[in-house]
Amino acid sequence: METATASTSFPDSSSPRSSRLRRFSQLRAYTQNISSGHRSRNSISSRVPWLSPSPGTDSTVTQVGNSTAPCPESDQPALSRYTSAPPSSSYGLSIDQASSTDSSHSTPPNESHQSSRTSNVMARLRSASAVQGRPPRNLGQTTTSDAPTSSPEPFAATNETPEPIDTPPNDAQEGDSNQPKQKATIRFFPYQDSYQSSRPSLPFVPVTRTLPSESCVVRVGRYSERDGIPIPNPAEPSDAPVGFKSKVVSRKHCEFMFINGQWHVKDVGSSSGTFLNHMRLSQPNMVSRLYSIKDGDIVQLGIDFRGGEEMIFRCVRIRIECNRSWQQQPNEFNKNTENLIQNLGKGDNVDYAGCRECSICLGSVLRPYQCLFMAACAHVWHYKCISRLLHSPDYPMFQCPNCRAFTDLSAEVDDSNDQDVEAKRAASASANVQEAARSETRTPADVPVPNNDGQQPPAQETSRPEEIELVTDVENLHLQEGQLLSADTESRSSNSPAPDSSSNDLARSATINIPGFQPTQPLNVPPGRSSHLRADTPVRSETSDDNPLTPRNDSGPLAFDGRATMQ
Amino acid sequence: MGSQKRIAKELTELVESPPAGITVKLADEANLYEWKVLMDGPEGSPYHKGKFQIKLVLPNEYPFKPPTVSFATKIYHPNVTNDDKGSMCLGMLRPDEWKPSSKIGAVLEFARQLLSEPMPDDAIEGRIAEQYKNDRKHFDEVARDWTRKHAS
Repeated sequence: METATASTSFPDSSSPRSSRLRRFSQLRAYTQNISSGHRSRNSISSRVPWLSPSPGTDSTVTQVGNSTAPCPESDQPALSRYTSAPPSSSYGLSIDQASSTDSSHSTPPNESHQSSRTSNVMARLRSASAVQGRPPRNLGQTTTSDAPTSSPEPFAATNETPEPIDTPPNDAQEGDSNQPKQKATIRFFPYQDSYQSSRPSLPFVPVTRTLPSESCVVRVGRYSERDGIPIPNPAEPSDAPVGFKSKVVSRKHCEFMFINGQWHVKDVGSSSGTFLNHMRLSQPNMVSRLYSIKDGDIVQLGIDFRGGEEMIFRCVRIRIECNRSWQQQPNEFNKNTENLIQNLGKGDNVDYAGCRECSICLGSVLRPYQCLFMAACAHVWHYKCISRLLHSPDYPMFQCPNCRAFTDLSAEVDDSNDQDVEAKRAASASANVQEAARSETRTPADVPVPNNDGQQPPAQETSRPEEIELVTDVENLHLQEGQLLSADTESRSSNSPAPDSSSNDLARSATINIPGFQPTQPLNVPPGRSSHLRADTPVRSETSDDNPLTPRNDSGPLAFDGRATMQ
Repeated sequence: MGSQKRIAKELTELVESPPAGITVKLADEANLYEWKVLMDGPEGSPYHKGKFQIKLVLPNEYPFKPPTVSFATKIYHPNVTNDDKGSMCLGMLRPDEWKPSSKIGAVLEFARQLLSEPMPDDAIEGRIAEQYKNDRKHFDEVARDWTRKHAS
């Protein structure tokens, strides 16, 4: 469902849609942050199984509970406010379950799944919005008939069925987080053999392929405009062919396949050969047997022709990255590192096994006020120490000196699977909110007056309403989020009760004020920043234009602009 | 030359808790970049009871460039050149294999490991490697002989 709506908006990548998406995500960030402050701890920890609630949040939760208990009379107005608030009564105290049942009052039953699934769908939409401007995969496939026919069919089918309806939200979430584990992913990076050959190989933009199913094959060959290889949606698995704009690459050069948990490469009768770690796989125009490949292997396509003076006569050297999915999802190590980053300078009583040392200078990275650099593999160094490797001739490619994982430093910021990050951020924000709320409620009233039975109500009156306002705001946000989404997916059909007020609420969400929240939110991404980041990404691809080594790539992951072929 | 701190750190570490059979010191107290390493021939190898002097030179770009390891003591080994240089071929020291996160301690331990288990497939002395593979008895004999002659 979401793919369909996303694709319709793609061809005109112009502002209204994308800005709406952006506002969406802002909104989401807000609702996540704020609402979770009042959500029960359970909902947070159920979203993030590995996030054990810290003792700090524990105490604040009980604190809030206590403060409400001794003063029933002050709760009375609060309750009335609750019920008078438009959507529902249980929202303020809600967990996810409650929210879904509530929204089912106002919307058809299938929508209820969606509202609790919004964040999930959002992630999709956002990642999709990141590639705006490129033609959608679906369209590309229908227009180009000579695209590979075997595999994409089931793949496309599964994606176009509206999944929220038949899958319960929890399963869907788990399925998403497990995806990298089940699917076979391979990445191709350009490799420059700086030690042995003088001539640079063909530069290309790194490619990632995640097989939709194990029987799929990644075909590699010469790119040609005529074949018009469709651009796969990077958020979805794909086995789209990989094309290189070099004359030494045959149209059908080699294939990568995933058999029994192992990646293999096979020459499919190329004329100038496929080389695996310098070994030629087959005679010219002969099909080779399968050769197993592993992470870090170098696959070379063809041999430089005419000295490789011109770009289109250069061979292609690919560095393979596979079987690294374990590194790209939460694991012991990168969670540890995240911990480290979050607690920098807050006292050093936690043991960050394995990530306390900069492997370049062997000094500690734990001290605050140092410039640090963290790679995608969660290894951390001092910026000063690692900068040599960052600003190497290979830039934007960066190889981790600890684990040899390659990172494309110019890659667009991948926020597609930030589910747990967001949740975590929400959790930390909730800690902040509660901290703030507690200080609001307690410092003026509780601290000076030990016996808070009689004295509490006046104090409550000053602090409570704000909180309740907040709660109602949150309710509205919550519901509006669901409604907005439904409005979107149904292309503003009639069943959404208040699509017009949504903009109002959006505005409200931006100006919502949380007592004491602003000053104490170091870990919380302000709305401006998230939108800023997203706004930046298209710009970056233009800057790569200035770099002669990175040809502009408008039409495909491996399609280069016409300059090379023109000559 | 930002590497001095790291080198000094590694040196102290190695001097304070040296790996088995290895002692480390600076060849010249004034030069941090040249180390003198004394390595005992590992037990069970033909080099047992030999004491081998190794010169370890760190490039200015260390740790981004690998150190070079050479045997000052003559040794009969397929992975060590049989000349007055005595350069040693260690896989992890090849420029494309080297990782800045590798430490000198690891390099030395790897070198010692290579004494007990030569890698004839990765040899620089092809003749010795061939002998090691095909005529192990003879190889052991010569190696022991050289150890007695040069390294004791």
